Amino acid sequence: MANEPALLDAPPEPPGTDRRPAGPDYRPALLLGSVFVIATCGLIYELIAGTLASYLLGDSVTQFSTIIGAYLFSMGIGSWLSRFLDAPLLRWFIRLEILVGLVGGFSAPLLFVLFEYVTSFRIILYALVGLTGVLVGLEIPLLMRILENRFEFKELVSRVFTFDYIGALLASLIFPLVLVPQLGLIRTALLFGLLNVAVAAVVLYRFRETRPYRRGLLTAVVLSSAALLACFAYAERVQVYTETLAFQDQVIYSKSTPYQRIVLTRNARELRLFLNGNLQFSSLDEYRYHEALVHPAMQALPQARRVLVLGGGDGLAVRELLKYPRLQSIRLVDLDPGMTELFRRNELLLRLNQRSLLQPKVQVISADAYQWVRQDTARYDLLVIDFPDPSNYSIGKLYSTAFYRELDKLLAPGGRLVVQSTSPYLARRSFWCIAHTLQAAGFHTIPYHLYVPSFGEWGYVLAGRNAHWRPDAGPLPPGLRYVTPQSIRQMLTFPPDMAELPTDVNQLNNQALVRYFEEDWGPYTH
Amino acid sequence: MTTANKLLLVPPLLGERGLGGEVPRRRFLQQAALGAVGLLLGSSGLPACAPAASRAHIKGSMRGADFSLGHLLRQPGQLPAPTRTEQVGVLIIGGGVAGLSAKRWLYRHGRTDVLLLELEQGLGGNAAGGQNPVSAYPWGAHYLPVPDARNTELLAFLREAGVITGTDETSGLPVYNEYHLCHDPEERLLIHGHWQQGLVPELGVPAADKAQIQRFFRLVEAMKQAQGADGRDAFCIPLDRSSTDEQFRRLDQLSFADYLAAEGYTSLYLRWYLDYCCQDDYGAPAARVSAWAGLHYFAARKGRAHNAEAADVLTWPEGNAFLVQQLQRGVDRGGIRAATLVYELRETAAGVEALAYDAVTRQTTRILARQVLLATPHFVARRLLAGWADAPALQPYHAPWLIANLTVDGLPQGPGQPLCWDNVRYGSRAVGYIDANHQDLGRDVGQPRVITFYWPLTEAEPDAARRQAYQTSYDQWLQRLLAELETTHPGVTRHVQQAELWVWGHGMVAPTPGYLWGPDEARQRAAQPLRNRVFFAHTDLSGVSIFEEAFYQGIRAATEILAAV
Repeated sequence: MANEPALLDAPPEPPGTDRRPAGPDYRPALLLGSVFVIATCGLIYELIAGTLASYLLGDSVTQFSTIIGAYLFSMGIGSWLSRFLDAPLLRWFIRLEILVGLVGGFSAPLLFVLFEYVTSFRIILYALVGLTGVLVGLEIPLLMRILENRFEFKELVSRVFTFDYIGALLASLIFPLVLVPQLGLIRTALLFGLLNVAVAAVVLYRFRETRPYRRGLLTAVVLSSAALLACFAYAERVQVYTETLAFQDQVIYSKSTPYQRIVLTRNARELRLFLNGNLQFSSLDEYRYHEALVHPAMQALPQARRVLVLGGGDGLAVRELLKYPRLQSIRLVDLDPGMTELFRRNELLLRLNQRSLLQPKVQVISADAYQWVRQDTARYDLLVIDFPDPSNYSIGKLYSTAFYRELDKLLAPGGRLVVQSTSPYLARRSFWCIAHTLQAAGFHTIPYHLYVPSFGEWGYVLAGRNAHWRPDAGPLPPGLRYVTPQSIRQMLTFPPDMAELPTDVNQLNNQALVRYFEEDWGPYTH
Repeated sequence: MTTANKLLLVPPLLGERGLGGEVPRRRFLQQAALGAVGLLLGSSGLPACAPAASRAHIKGSMRGADFSLGHLLRQPGQLPAPTRTEQVGVLIIGGGVAGLSAKRWLYRHGRTDVLLLELEQGLGGNAAGGQNPVSAYPWGAHYLPVPDARNTELLAFLREAGVITGTDETSGLPVYNEYHLCHDPEERLLIHGHWQQGLVPELGVPAADKAQIQRFFRLVEAMKQAQGADGRDAFCIPLDRSSTDEQFRRLDQLSFADYLAAEGYTSLYLRWYLDYCCQDDYGAPAARVSAWAGLHYFAARKGRAHNAEAADVLTWPEGNAFLVQQLQRGVDRGGIRAATLVYELRETAAGVEALAYDAVTRQTTRILARQVLLATPHFVARRLLAGWADAPALQPYHAPWLIANLTVDGLPQGPGQPLCWDNVRYGSRAVGYIDANHQDLGRDVGQPRVITFYWPLTEAEPDAARRQAYQTSYDQWLQRLLAELETTHPGVTRHVQQAELWVWGHGMVAPTPGYLWGPDEARQRAAQPLRNRVFFAHTDLSGVSIFEEAFYQGIRAATEILAAV
């Protein structure tokens, strides 16, 4: 290998052996052109990593700055490593371009996919940034060495860095203005991966010196381009692109399970979860919602040992329940394993629910709630009912007298249940319909509400077979941010614009609630 | 308005829990989906207006009443001679609702010497049901309206069956099992390209037509309240309990269509709806049923319940096969034999001798019964009594029906009301389909479901239509069925996984003019026992083929049998 003729500084070939017409040697110019392309690609990868990190992890200043730092540092490592590469340098350069194309090109799709599965997402992120940086860091030193005998040193440095910085300028302009809005992050990464591979292909084709090893590298070029192209064509581009426009904030995760579409968005301040387009929580104020869901009931159940949570696959209600050491078992039944898996795996979400779904006391079951309650034979001290709002007939069944009668069978003596009951302000009839339905099923009810900034006024109905409940019946766990005996008392008061009004009872054969809900919310959605 | 403007109009709160951000998002997804479809079509080179999808992927077969066994009745000479003899007190021929109801009544009154023979493999007659891995489904009758609280025999049975779970203390009204009451949303109609709620045409219906429709329903309300000079309700279920007052009964002499025309009901929307109702319940258009029967359909529904309204119905995935199953509870199962054809009845000194051919063992048994109850359609009864003097003679109008149970993994949905229990297309001659999975309690997440499609074949006279129906092949039926369904749900063909078809040669009796209350009283006479040996129970003797009538017929005949001993 070491005896192969060195590139460009090889002795001129005898006349006539070159099939191409004689003329000026354009090959250095070609290599300088590739400096421009690889510089653009390099900066694009850096921008993608920075953007992705701030999308997925939030806090864009920190993310951008640490990503840029890590990237530049890795480039430094790459530059240093370049000294260990020996002739034939052109072969190394082509290999390098293919590698950069693959690593950089697949970086964005890989990070999007891994976001769900990897607990320590940061490690993967920085490993990928580091790897890309090292590879990109190798490129320029290698090229300068390839070109060193063609130009004077001052000429070489001047030309290479001119093209390098022009490429950087171009990248920094087209990335926010053209690429992200038009292609999205995933396809941008894949496109620039393809450009790197294209540089490899052109060099391979144009430089006759590559003949001895052309076949292997050509195969690599073809396979990598095919992989990148395939990924480009089948990337979930439509959904990611449109959802980014449909939600106010950046979509950082989206998945269609057989049951629903789960979307996570984030901005500088908060993380939001949407199911089928409906906000389920904002990380900023979900504590209000979940504290109010759990504590008014739990503080009055000093003997409670077993709890069943229906819905609530985000584990946030369970997080609140775990604040009571007296509970021996918490069983959560959610329809969608896609939800509970996400909230058991993802680092950000685990931080939010404090790993609640991974606690030994907690049993997570993927089942349809209605089917489950009909066959469950256990008895519970508290049932926490955290279903989506009754916006369609199949969810409406989970708010019916028939369903509440099934719940009655699951209650231990003195047990209670609490039902998230939509907004008593925006959907006043819906809220009171839920309360009246619980009454029709034989329960004493205690309706209450509070203000959750991202939802508005939100309501719950606490229900039991007897009326013995007090807002200050027992101690509350330390560290609550909203619920106190005083705030519970406030929650019990309904001003006139939310006051009780007569409604039908929601039965399977009239689905009164779904109709109220449609009418109540209709004016706000059309 | 652009999407961006639309987004701005949504107050920030509404990006929130609830319906909020859904609207713009849905539009985006629709656009995205359209784009994706465009891409797919573009890339695969498939023209968007490709001819209807192939039917090759659809599995299924022609099912149906045991046609070949039944037709052996015409050639009894081909059947083997009896090899053994059995003696029973009462022999019931026919295991439909009337026969089973009679058996149940006799059993509850201490009669255990009763044998019931059914021609088919399964019991239930036109209330039979079937099942596949996706769902149970009906092969015919599929609901029972909440009954009149005065129908005490029926209410007692429903209590027994767990359909009524209690009585409300204050109102004294029955409380129905909520899982058996048809869940909301119950009905929808595809009209002017849009699914509206309910079956009475409303959407895009001109005011003049609406006024006629309202006038008709005011008439119905008045008829519900109406009583005859004898103090009885004008319209009752069972219909034999209706008033004998001539001012109502004479409505049986003219057709419902003529009556409507005479009363100025000319609206095409109203007339389509009433035709639909008659087809649905009687298998005949309004021109073929009597005005009394047409009004009875509406005015006799006086159901009362603590937790349901008069218009509510009870239904089960398997349809009225659920009730058929319940009728057999608490009855000696040994006293019921299926797949057995009775092909001859002879009067003897002590009673009746019947020859019964068992299709499984291929043997004939001579059954000596003191009494026989013929709980069969009238044409079967007549054939069995061919040699008998003074055998009854009725001419019931029986249209053939096609019932199809389709397993589908999706129903391309047009705008409007989502899938309901009963789904009908305005203007169709078929009477729509029901969703057999409607009473499922789980979240509807697009799993396969079974829909049961009903099609009364009334375009020709019953005999011709029947012959034609029997000669139509599975593939021809499937083609016609899919053509109808494609009109309702374009693109549905590729979602159909399985299609089981059943042709009922004699689907149900239609109350043609004069059939119910004609001056010859043929119907009433046909129900009279022959010399206390042969009794009759079937909805052909009511003229209206509904569960309540069949149930009543069984009890009436059983009471006569008990009295005759």
